[in-house]
Amino acid sequence: MAPRTDHATARARRRWTRLRQAVQYLALIAFVALFLGARRGGWPADVVNLPMRLDPLAMLAHLLASRTWLAGSALALLTIGLTIALGRAWCGWLCPLGTALDILSPRRRRGPRAAPADAWRAVKYGLLLAILIAALFANLTLLIFDPLTILYRTLSVSIWPALDQVVTGAEVALYRLAPLRPALSALDGWLRPKVFPFEPVFYRYAPLYAGLFIGLVLLNWAAPRFWCRYLCPLGGLLGLLSKGAIVRRETGAGCKECQACARVCPMDAIRPEQGYASDPGECTMCLECLAACPANAVRFPAHLSLARWSPYDPNRRQALVALGAALAGIGLFRSDAAARRDHPHLIRPPGARENDLLAKCIRCAACSRACPTGAIQPAWTEAGLEGFWTPVLVPRLGYCDYSCNACGQVCPVQAIPPLSLAAKRERVIGQAYINQNRCLPWAERRDCIVCEEMCPVPNKAIQLEKVEVRNGDGELVTVQRPYVVRDRRIGCGICEYKCPVSGEAAIRVYVPGGGTL
Amino acid sequence: MPTATPVATVVPPTPAAPARGYPDLVVARGGEPEELVRRALAALGGMERFVKRGDDVIVKPNICNAYHTYEYASTTNPWVVGALVRLALEAGARRVRVMDYPFGGSPEEAYVRSGIQEQVKAAGGQMEIMSGLRFIKTKIPQAQSLRECEIYEDVLKADVVINVSIAKHHNLARLTLGMKNLMGVIRDRPALHSNLGQRLADLTGRIRPALTVVDAVRILVANGPTGGNLDDVKKLDTVIVSPDIVAADAYAATLFGLQPNDLAYVRAGTAAGLGRSDLQHLTIEELTVGA
Repeated sequence: MAPRTDHATARARRRWTRLRQAVQYLALIAFVALFLGARRGGWPADVVNLPMRLDPLAMLAHLLASRTWLAGSALALLTIGLTIALGRAWCGWLCPLGTALDILSPRRRRGPRAAPADAWRAVKYGLLLAILIAALFANLTLLIFDPLTILYRTLSVSIWPALDQVVTGAEVALYRLAPLRPALSALDGWLRPKVFPFEPVFYRYAPLYAGLFIGLVLLNWAAPRFWCRYLCPLGGLLGLLSKGAIVRRETGAGCKECQACARVCPMDAIRPEQGYASDPGECTMCLECLAACPANAVRFPAHLSLARWSPYDPNRRQALVALGAALAGIGLFRSDAAARRDHPHLIRPPGARENDLLAKCIRCAACSRACPTGAIQPAWTEAGLEGFWTPVLVPRLGYCDYSCNACGQVCPVQAIPPLSLAAKRERVIGQAYINQNRCLPWAERRDCIVCEEMCPVPNKAIQLEKVEVRNGDGELVTVQRPYVVRDRRIGCGICEYKCPVSGEAAIRVYVPGGGTL
Repeated sequence: MPTATPVATVVPPTPAAPARGYPDLVVARGGEPEELVRRALAALGGMERFVKRGDDVIVKPNICNAYHTYEYASTTNPWVVGALVRLALEAGARRVRVMDYPFGGSPEEAYVRSGIQEQVKAAGGQMEIMSGLRFIKTKIPQAQSLRECEIYEDVLKADVVINVSIAKHHNLARLTLGMKNLMGVIRDRPALHSNLGQRLADLTGRIRPALTVVDAVRILVANGPTGGNLDDVKKLDTVIVSPDIVAADAYAATLFGLQPNDLAYVRAGTAAGLGRSDLQHLTIEELTVGA
């Protein structure tokens, strides 16, 4: 009789892990769908911002650093409530990066695991404390390690553009086959601009963003969910909250100490020496143990107490180290040349420069995703190390479209202010200068006018002066030479983008001048 | 003039073909845009002269960017475009597609902001977003300067192309009119910027629109082609139609106080035999619509 019932209950217990997987996939699909909806003419900002606003680490750090309260960030309380009720269920059931790491992990683990020592689990707490302490000093640099920003940024500026290249390449190749053309045209019409931008966009060092993500995936081979166990600062925050979680995993009567649960636990959170209970700060409630237990001994009783502190959990010494590291980092950032003078090409999205960007931007690259021309790029050097991967416009790669204000709409933390289109059009983000050594009418004495033609400002920030000059053949010709009218310029960069001079443009946008200029 | 020009036809070196009792060019003034188009076309012999039953028609307006609404006269008047779509369908066209390839902003945005999408749909036409896949490298054997460029395939294959430009200022070409409007069907615009007049004539010789309409309901007299300043807009309530693209442009130049020969592409187009710019010898019918 026993085997039948056991099998039946085992199947019943499997249902829980299947349900979890279904929820994980749905959450990941929703994340990608909201990513796709974050474009001009896409879904409403409050909808596409949902994932970032559910992230309590990004919202808390933003609150501490910017000292501004965003109504939408209250959504993060849902995640906190979930964690207090059920521990790190976010990590096991909802986190799209966690799900991506589950999908991209080795199918079968071979031989004894070479996982790092438990002490490594402290890294995530150290990172968490450093993020929160730095945030108190208006610094958010380390949010590049927030799991949602990692995934969003990777999608924005490397995975999706790469996918676009692959799809476009396939379309072009197949388009040579005449019978396929109607279908391909229809497909292309459906894909753009809903799934991919109307024209492909390009990001500087795009492979490197993917490299960080692939690195996290490869760590799965050292230990399952390596990132979540040892490194993730959001996991650290939720782990600390989980110390007081109401529902915790334990084993009850009937446990034969067979270790089946400990073997399947992807977080290696089950402690044989504590009667096969798990550390609630490490358990993601994935329920694999429930399905694996042959004795049906896994229980999830309610508690109203703090769980035991583990040796790797934060202690005073670690807090002091994090404080010291954060202070040292801030001192070093503030002594960086970038803090003294702006990089010449530090062109920020409209309104962001005047908006205390460094203390608000959570480095998610949602603005890059929304920018239809691919102008907004994560900064590598322009903003100094403190502003690493904050948004910067690179006009040679894309221009700030006069008919677009999408970046400010999709920014989940209003680091780029949500300007109306009319207000955005008047916002000065840079100043164009003409390089007379390269500009065709100046250097080669022939007509061009493209920058003036493209200038979207109603009175044209670029004007033309007619001059008579002798060209290379000795003929007297009239050419129109461009010059910039400072009071009219907005710095949108379409002049630099469209400048037909190869290589470096003959007109370039620089940081806008100060009030005294 | 040939009607429904097959795309492979080599341009005849002779100017306008016998007018068969129709005027070479019609100018309609002083009414609502749609009525101006209807009356002008009627005087030219009706849309049936250009569109045959079952034809696949492409209407090419100027939707150069997504910046402004039609009042700013940087894009073609939506009712002018709508009227052409309706007339082509009434003449029995199988389908009428409307498209342009903006240089600023995305096409979907530009189609909406210009107001053209709404009027085209109301008239029963389709807005088509010009897919990057369909620009094909095309040789122009009779060209003097632009011997090869990537042209939107469908424009070459359509039975009838109706070219409907706005009349506006442009610092290199001086004016954007019918011939300049054809730049919208190619992708490599910078390639046209040097020797612009001749290259526009070369491109026109390859595309050969059956009918050119110059929308001068509002004209942009400065700060083109982008505009954005209502002070630069003059309301003329005028529409010019002609099967002869050079003649249409030559006449439109006079609306700005210029002579036809002030425009390099009109000179090049005349020299290439694409049409006539000797306005004094053309049969021009001027009519006044409305009150």
